[in-house]
Amino acid sequence: MLRTIIAGLKARTARLVLSSVAIALGVAFVTGTLVLGDAMNASLRDEFAKDARNVDVSVTVDGGSSEESTEIPGITPETLAKIRQAPGVAGADPRDSQTVPLVAANGKAKPAFAVPLASTEKLREFDLAEGRYPTKADEIAVDKRTAATAKLTIGQPVVLLGKEDQRHTYTLVGTYQQGTNQLSLGGFDHIGLTPDAFQALEPERPPYQVVATAAPGFTQQQVVDNVRKAIGDNGFRIQSGEELTKETLERVEARSGEFTTLLLAFAIIALVVAAMVIYNTFTILVAQRTRELALMRCVGASRGQVFRSVLAEALVMGLTASVIGLLGGIGVSALLQRVMFSFNDGEGTVTLPLTVTTVVAAFAVGTLVTVLAAVLPARKATRVAPVAALRSQPDSGEEVSRTGVVRVLTAVLLGVIGVGAVVFGMGMDDEEAAMFTSGAGTMALLGAVLVLGPLLVGPVNRVLGALPRALLGVPAKLASANAGRNPKRTAATTAALMIGVTIVSLVTVVANSAKETANAEIDERMPADYTVTSAVYDRPLPKELAEQLAAVPEVAKVAPTTVVFGERGYFTGVPRDAIGNLFRPTVTSGSLDDLGDGTIAVNADYAKRANVSVGSVLSIKPGKGEAQELKVVAVVEGQRLSDGIMTMETSLRFEQAAAGYDSILVKLKDGAVNGRAAVEKVTDPSPLALLDSAAETKEQLNQQLNQVLAFIWALIGLAVVIALFGIANTLTLSVLERTRESALLRALGLTRGQLRLMLVVESVLMALMGAAIGLLLGIGFGWVLTEALSNDTISVDLVVPFGQIGVMLAGAVVAAILAAALPARRAARTSVVAGMAEA
Amino acid sequence: MSALVSDVGTRTAVAAANLVKVYGKGDTAVRALDGVSVSFAAGRFTAIMGPSGSGKSTLMHCLAGLDNVDGGSVDIGGTEITSLGDKELTRLRRDRVGFVFQAFNLLPTLTAEANILLGLELAGRKPDREWFDTIVDVLGLRDRLKHKPTELSGGQQQRVACARALVARPDVVFADEPTGNLDSRSGAEVLDFLRMSVRKLGQTVIMVTHDPVAASYADRVVLMADGRLAGEIDSPTADSVLSALKHLGA
Repeated sequence: MLRTIIAGLKARTARLVLSSVAIALGVAFVTGTLVLGDAMNASLRDEFAKDARNVDVSVTVDGGSSEESTEIPGITPETLAKIRQAPGVAGADPRDSQTVPLVAANGKAKPAFAVPLASTEKLREFDLAEGRYPTKADEIAVDKRTAATAKLTIGQPVVLLGKEDQRHTYTLVGTYQQGTNQLSLGGFDHIGLTPDAFQALEPERPPYQVVATAAPGFTQQQVVDNVRKAIGDNGFRIQSGEELTKETLERVEARSGEFTTLLLAFAIIALVVAAMVIYNTFTILVAQRTRELALMRCVGASRGQVFRSVLAEALVMGLTASVIGLLGGIGVSALLQRVMFSFNDGEGTVTLPLTVTTVVAAFAVGTLVTVLAAVLPARKATRVAPVAALRSQPDSGEEVSRTGVVRVLTAVLLGVIGVGAVVFGMGMDDEEAAMFTSGAGTMALLGAVLVLGPLLVGPVNRVLGALPRALLGVPAKLASANAGRNPKRTAATTAALMIGVTIVSLVTVVANSAKETANAEIDERMPADYTVTSAVYDRPLPKELAEQLAAVPEVAKVAPTTVVFGERGYFTGVPRDAIGNLFRPTVTSGSLDDLGDGTIAVNADYAKRANVSVGSVLSIKPGKGEAQELKVVAVVEGQRLSDGIMTMETSLRFEQAAAGYDSILVKLKDGAVNGRAAVEKVTDPSPLALLDSAAETKEQLNQQLNQVLAFIWALIGLAVVIALFGIANTLTLSVLERTRESALLRALGLTRGQLRLMLVVESVLMALMGAAIGLLLGIGFGWVLTEALSNDTISVDLVVPFGQIGVMLAGAVVAAILAAALPARRAARTSVVAGMAEA
Repeated sequence: MSALVSDVGTRTAVAAANLVKVYGKGDTAVRALDGVSVSFAAGRFTAIMGPSGSGKSTLMHCLAGLDNVDGGSVDIGGTEITSLGDKELTRLRRDRVGFVFQAFNLLPTLTAEANILLGLELAGRKPDREWFDTIVDVLGLRDRLKHKPTELSGGQQQRVACARALVARPDVVFADEPTGNLDSRSGAEVLDFLRMSVRKLGQTVIMVTHDPVAASYADRVVLMADGRLAGEIDSPTADSVLSALKHLGA
């Protein structure tokens, strides 16, 4: 039996190689994902481990329980001194951070994350890259990437904006490597100062943590006990270094876990697609071998032997493909890491940790899936009657069996579940739950369509085949007939592509709808030509800026806004005379005419949350200062930036609004030329002022969304590639199966070119079938999800990106032509006489 | 060319001169056709017979332009075909040659009617409806036209193949063991039709067979052995063919 199996594998190498490619791609994707996840975890762990390295004791302020404290108590210099003096403490340093505007080489400020650098060298969280660490209060070190993006070089002065936008100048003495962590991935700038210089930026703020390292000869526990004795544990949380490390690592796992889950979801899609391709291939292989298997039965092979021979073949194939896929997956991971680093325009080291889990997963996936996919065909093989060997024509009619009742029932059941979940989800208020429920519903519907596949092939094929039939004549007619001749096989072949296209178009439609909705919102929100905002979020704009802007001759109107943060929302203060022109919210009840001193117009969403309506009195309690009672005079919609608007005067009752402006809206005079240049003349000298136009804001937003979309296209692209291999696979096998038929057609007068054309059209038809159904489903599901996302306050309109869909369809056609290339070549090369002789 | 005409006064449909076809190379080379010169008159039913390995199928493939030759020439209706390229050969088959094979004659995806008209469609020609009806009625296929090949019996399938071969009014119809897969009654029907298409419809049919009974339907039998012509019989009967074959075998 073994010899027969080996001989069989040898004889069918070409067909098996094709199927192996599909498996290998699936395995590559799964391993690639796992390796990437491990690599990211490892690098995050390294980073966080740096935080905890050499730390033997950590003291943090335990602020969680004290309720009435508006001022978060920090660690006073006295406490720090006590810790330093505790027996066994070799060194102790405060840990803290604050966002400080850093003035880049172009004179513009950007928020930077500032930290004090520990005086005890062992307690520093970073590794020096170049130069040295600052030792004096007027020296500074910056992260390597920050130095590059802000164009700072060692020896140059660096300016930070302190309180009241005071300029503090430092000399850059060194750069350090922050490594890959959330901050660096988020593109944050990072700077380090001496503890004194750091404290000087905001003197009244005490640090929230002190870390200490133990002197030789003391255990962590001893030092912890000594520190506790020295400062008492009232209001402090004292941890050993070990506890701190453990806590940090838990945080890491939770954060990077999300990303790995996302990647795994894509890997599962790729795997499902690969499994379908494999299943289909084996089904066809077995069908073609009917005579051979029957002959084996004739000469005395038992059913079990036939079953095992098919499975053994699958096992060999699965193992081989798993090895190739595993290696490929490591490559995929390296590639993805490079891509991520390039997004980040930072550098990073590609790491490829290979764990036992990954290897086991690769083999389990590649081998198990292959063997499982082969079980059904193998079972079918055992049913072959020995007499089938004697029949002259291998009977493929049995495969074209009628659609069973079970199939229809399953589809109906899935359909009902799907529609139910979709409808239920659409009715839900909570966006996330609605997304999830409706999303699950759409997947059930996808399942229903997959099950119904063989029934859909006929009609879809007739519709899609109409155009080529009319344009390309007989070869296209034959191709269309071929695509429809075995609905089960065609359905299984196109299903893989269908899944890929459904998900790509779903994501594309939802993303584009969200983008358009956001763009529309920006248009609505920004009736002004320009908005001046602060580059650093907690630094308001100076009031003089509004006056200077108003004085510009090209400017028609200027409206500054203030912001008030309450406990459950935040509110905007605008000049009374800007309402109705620069601010145009839609009023749902009450009237904006009544908006005056001591009143507020709230957003509909907030009104619901806070349970207020026109006439109610709303008490707003800011973070600092006293609560104010405001009368609600209107409920508005569409002004979505904040939870409510009040007049500038009313907002000034709150201390935080008095500090400066949150933004300044600028409207140019009609027909003003070079308006932007005139406005820039005012904003340029101010390091904080950022000039935004609605168009630019949109541009930024769109860029971000496009990046996300590109990433998803790339991920699902792999599933689509696997699916196209499936088409090539099926086509190759069909060509082999139809050798005699092709020869007959050639004898009857079909030219080589026409024969090739016929196969190309067949391939394109199959690809289009998958793509067309996929697109319909994807767009439909996209509509479902946008509806689910919409609620009373947000309405996401369905936007179908025809351009991108066109690209997708064109891609499918081109890929289908490529997929048909080899099989078509082979078919056309076979001589008529040789073809007729094939049994 | 006139040297090839054997039946004076009758047009020659197909003629071969000094045909050579060699399979393999060097020591293992087999001369499947070893200098065969033969001609087939238009409007006649000729059978090519011989034991297996005699080269009868190879001769037919070469005559029909399905296979290339290693020497000699083939003429179909005045066209020298051995020098033609694949495109011209394909066009020639489309327009001037009909085929009936032993099996796999029909495309399973097409109905009987579509199968019959396939050759014409490939050639981009309009079918002659009257002629089509004549053939369909003679073959008794009228109520089978909408059926797929899998829904037809073996005899019906071969009759559809005959109809397809004749519907384009080719210069010649090549039939390769057309009854090889049929029971004797269905076989007789197909052979009757082939003979009638020659006698009444004026077609030219060249049939390869190893069955003396089938050969007895022909006007003339050409005998082959070891890649050469080994004689011929005019107005054959099953008995005369059988004894000639026995003679060859001996």
